[in-house]
Amino acid sequence: MDSVAELLAASLRIATPLLFAALGGILSERAGVFAVGLEGMMLTGAFAGVIATHALGHAGLGLVASAVGGALLAAIVAIATVRFCADQMVTGLAVNILALGLTSFLLRGLFGRGEAPIIRVTPLAPLPIPALSDIPIVGPLLFRQPALTYVGLALIVAMFVLLHRTRAGLTLRAVGENPTAAFAGGADPLRVRAVAVVSGGALAGIGGAVLSLQQVGTFTDGMTNGRGYLALAAIIVGRWSPAGAFVGCLLFGATDALQLRIQGLRLPVSSYVIQMLPYVVSLAVLAGLGRGAKLPSAIGTPFVRR
Amino acid sequence: MRAALAVLLAFALTALLIIAAGKNPLLAYAALVRGAIGSWDRVGVGLNKATPYILTGVGVALCFRAKVINIGGEGQIALGGLAATWMALTFPRIPPIVLPLLALAAGAVAGAGWAAVAAAVRLRRGVHEVLVTLLLNFVGVLIVSEALQGSLGEPGAGFPQSPLLPAATWLPHPLQGNDLHVGILAAVIAILAGHALLWRMPFGFRLRVMGASVPAAVYAGISPPRTFLGVMSLAGALAGLAGGIEVLGVHYRLIDGFSHGFGFNAVAIALLGALNPVAILPAGLFFGFLETGAQAMQRAVGVPTPLVSVIQGLTMVFILSAMGVSARRPRV
Repeated sequence: MDSVAELLAASLRIATPLLFAALGGILSERAGVFAVGLEGMMLTGAFAGVIATHALGHAGLGLVASAVGGALLAAIVAIATVRFCADQMVTGLAVNILALGLTSFLLRGLFGRGEAPIIRVTPLAPLPIPALSDIPIVGPLLFRQPALTYVGLALIVAMFVLLHRTRAGLTLRAVGENPTAAFAGGADPLRVRAVAVVSGGALAGIGGAVLSLQQVGTFTDGMTNGRGYLALAAIIVGRWSPAGAFVGCLLFGATDALQLRIQGLRLPVSSYVIQMLPYVVSLAVLAGLGRGAKLPSAIGTPFVRR
Repeated sequence: MRAALAVLLAFALTALLIIAAGKNPLLAYAALVRGAIGSWDRVGVGLNKATPYILTGVGVALCFRAKVINIGGEGQIALGGLAATWMALTFPRIPPIVLPLLALAAGAVAGAGWAAVAAAVRLRRGVHEVLVTLLLNFVGVLIVSEALQGSLGEPGAGFPQSPLLPAATWLPHPLQGNDLHVGILAAVIAILAGHALLWRMPFGFRLRVMGASVPAAVYAGISPPRTFLGVMSLAGALAGLAGGIEVLGVHYRLIDGFSHGFGFNAVAIALLGALNPVAILPAGLFFGFLETGAQAMQRAVGVPTPLVSVIQGLTMVFILSAMGVSARRPRV
């Protein structure tokens, strides 16, 4: 029983970076812009978070830097896709390549004199909530997590309220479903989309910082290793709803947590086969859910004022 | 013209990065050009580098023409290399000239098969091909690692790689004392064939109609799913062939991670070549030489090689934006 609770707690911890990225991606996709660039935004955030924490000596400033980093990369996506109507998916891929190159280059060029340095920061520690964390099973699972995991959980609710209970959320969804109608109704689809993409990028950037600052404590080349793509899968699994995407993230988190356990068991399967699990499971889940996925109607279509 | 401008702009922006890293961009770019085309030897290395990019890029361009966003090149290349290695190591008694050809064919079949898996998930289960191909890339690369851990690995090598392939399977080097192998011929043939297919054959016409409008394609009696499966398999076969050529022509063995970044490079090249098979030749050569040049640049002036990815990413963003603007015509 204890080990099950432990596994669940680990799943939640591992799911946190995905959760931030998925919430950011929902913001962007609900406004009508595919979020293939999540991977690069996470990577930029992970890098900026570690560098700023190391240089300024404060993890809070590191977090701010990671949000700014993710938002800057997202701004490139916003300008290219919203202003210039560039293909959204391939632009996402392009900024992923850009982010991979940029972070690896800056790590060596600015901080390592040509070699890749190892910059260590103290990982953010778990923050047990007094009293609540002593409840059996639920306590360690929900209330002995690192600080950013709590923030992530709160953001699920906040994102739901934003999308479904505020005027801004209504406008955002309208732009994603039918920008022409939203324009006729007085909204500026271009601005709404740009704001959604950039703030989504900031969230994904923080997701990257969760990975580098909370889980690992350093930055390595391409350390997101496909997590942005898994977050993208989680959005689809969750049908573009914050709570649904969280379930998707938890599923991938659990797969990852299980993968670490299985490797400890010394089963007769090689570690590579086990490493395939998150990708295979997400593909299987997506395939199992099949069609029925109702995309925001205007996603992928640029808005042109006429 | 547009491509040249995009590249120029990317180089200008990355010059700022080089300055930020405390180096002289002019010296760096000079070292890059010297390293890329400074000697016949370097030119040979650059041509070898460009070969898999061009092959995979032609396939990606054909897919993009039909609005099929196949970005699974890396996985398809990885499995192509794996199949070619398996063929070359398992059947050493096949006559020397036939064996490398069979190995390359095995690579193409494996790449096509892997792409067909992605196409099947897309067509039968409705999962977008971008996500399917991206996720399958990770799986494909891990399958290669697994094979090198197991039956295909070289015992006691200390690095996940296969044993050296029999010399009879190595691709011939036509020039004495130069690394250039005959794989570049396959790339040139792929370009000519891709051009003929796209502009002179019914299948190419179907691709273009489907890319312009799926309903129009259906109205014209074209089956979108069959066209989808066809172009994905074709692109997969080209990528698999590229993987086989990389193994038989450059490394003479399967090495873990040999396909790293190839698939994304191919997308960049397809865009730089404006999805035109013929224009992919200069685009592929450019990226091939850029890569070999960057390695020399790192050695000579200490500017790190990831700069290449920055140039690629920026070039792609510029070209995509330009394509978006020119496609944005008022509708009737």
